[in-house]
Amino acid sequence: MSSIPHDQAVAGHTDGHAGDHNEGHGYHPTGIMRWITTTNHKDIGTLYLLFSLTMFFIGGCMALTIRAELFQPGLQIVHPEFFNSLTTLHGLIMIFGAIMPAAVGFANWQVPLMIGAPDMAFARMNNWSFWLLPPAAFMLILSFFVPGGAAAGGWTLYPPLSVQAGMGMDLTIFAIHIMGASSIMGSINIITTILNMRAPGMTMMKLPMFVWTWLITAYLLIAVMPVLAGSVTMLLTDRHFGTSFFNAAGGGDPVLFQHVFWFFGHPEVYIMILPSFGIVSQIIPTFARKPLFGYASMVYAVASIAILSFLVWAHHMFTVGMPAAGLLFFMYATMLIAVPTGVKVFNWLATMWKGSMTFETPMLFAIGFLFLFTMGGFTGLVLALTPIDIQLQDTYYVVAHFHYVLVAGSLFAFFGGAYYWLPKWTGTMYNEKLGQWHFWSSMIFFNITFFPMHFLGVAGMPRRIPDYAQQFADWNMVVSIGAFGFGLSQILFVVAVIKCIRGDGAKAPAKPWEGADTLEWTVPSPAPHHTFETPPVIA
Amino acid sequence: MVTNHSPRTDDGAHLRSANLRTALAVGAIAVLFFVGVIAAQFVGDSMVGMSVVSAAVLLFLAFAIGRNLRK
Repeated sequence: MSSIPHDQAVAGHTDGHAGDHNEGHGYHPTGIMRWITTTNHKDIGTLYLLFSLTMFFIGGCMALTIRAELFQPGLQIVHPEFFNSLTTLHGLIMIFGAIMPAAVGFANWQVPLMIGAPDMAFARMNNWSFWLLPPAAFMLILSFFVPGGAAAGGWTLYPPLSVQAGMGMDLTIFAIHIMGASSIMGSINIITTILNMRAPGMTMMKLPMFVWTWLITAYLLIAVMPVLAGSVTMLLTDRHFGTSFFNAAGGGDPVLFQHVFWFFGHPEVYIMILPSFGIVSQIIPTFARKPLFGYASMVYAVASIAILSFLVWAHHMFTVGMPAAGLLFFMYATMLIAVPTGVKVFNWLATMWKGSMTFETPMLFAIGFLFLFTMGGFTGLVLALTPIDIQLQDTYYVVAHFHYVLVAGSLFAFFGGAYYWLPKWTGTMYNEKLGQWHFWSSMIFFNITFFPMHFLGVAGMPRRIPDYAQQFADWNMVVSIGAFGFGLSQILFVVAVIKCIRGDGAKAPAKPWEGADTLEWTVPSPAPHHTFETPPVIA
Repeated sequence: MVTNHSPRTDDGAHLRSANLRTALAVGAIAVLFFVGVIAAQFVGDSMVGMSVVSAAVLLFLAFAIGRNLRK
């Protein structure tokens, strides 16, 4: 069972009673202090989402600068060193500043509402988790202005480049530490909330799929964030305290860093994609007007993906030199992930099959996600084959693959989720025409940007270079045009969000979507500041 | 880690202590992995140490997720 039938859930008090946490003592800060001191999960969710949108545009501007440089062969706009910093910071900002905070923003808004909890388990820690992020982001951006410039060795921070780099690398390491601490605190909060604060009667196998995917994501974060923190700590001591964990000159092993990094890095991909799976699993049944097909198998598939994600890290480093048995193991283990992923894709399609479907913006983004993520999955299978991967390592084929997974995967699902829940968050329906324009322009320009990268990669164009051979010029021009189109398309999203926040649109009813049946739709729109102070009873 | 079969209780103190136990358990695991990944470098062959940490991470995940699947 994927959701709670509307008539079986009895919502608790949803009035503005201020009895929650530290807000119930007559102190009600307003203005900026409200946002700095808030412990309300909805406020903090909003902060996360706005922060991630800001970082998305900062990272996006870096991407557009990269594409402007690559519009034609030769060096014309930026210095090669700065170009390398841009590729590095674009990756770090999009992953740690945009995608992960967006997912946490969705969790903050939706998890308590979907399980009938009044708030997150640790409201003050929730506030702290968020407010760690802006200083970390500031440090990352500040690194551009310190002697030696920002980190330029790629978001993977491989030694020896990261050991030899300037002060920008130290700021990057500290920023990663802070963002990692924020993620771990957020995960502890989410795990505790889901395990201990569910409404009476809501057993684990009655949890909405989005909540399940976030529970497993939170476990993944607890497992891998300390590994990343440990590896960058060792990097820091190699740089400043005379150790030689990864410094070959002192007897260290740079390849060891790659192993440790990717032991974090590959599960990290699923940390970014599992919440998207959850969002899509809420949207498709709603607009197909059918229950999610194979709920239990979806839960098992997500669990399998999470566990398998720890057994495949070395497929990122087939070219470093590995015994044949290692190559074979990691190749087959990687291909094995296609099985639970295939189960999920099959279940989404089966949910739509013979459904009474309508194609509002959230559904369009969900279907767009399904189509493009599946393509990214297929190219992942191609890269899983060791002999092919050795040819395509560090080419634009890899860039195309992971952007199909992370942009069309995570980002499209987040857009779909935002349009799906904006009426609940703001009390105003988004502008459907604007949403449809946003979807179609994003879909078209996304493919113009990233599909030709497959051709460039197969032809041998290496990634992370500011200049390239003349033979790659035509497709690079197409890619750059697509990138600017994709970037401009996102302004439509900002306009749609601002219109909702300003109340410029039809008033949203409590349940604007006919097929929606999870608990959040039992409270008014916009969701009151305090919800479910009396727990709903799930039959 | 504490999970309740009948999840939410009206007893605020009981809920708070259950939350605290869950958080401390999960937080302790995170600290253990952080220390473990660094300590593994000092244990003879670092690959052996890393393998132990990796196995511990995998076991944690299998246990943490698996115990919730039955409910």
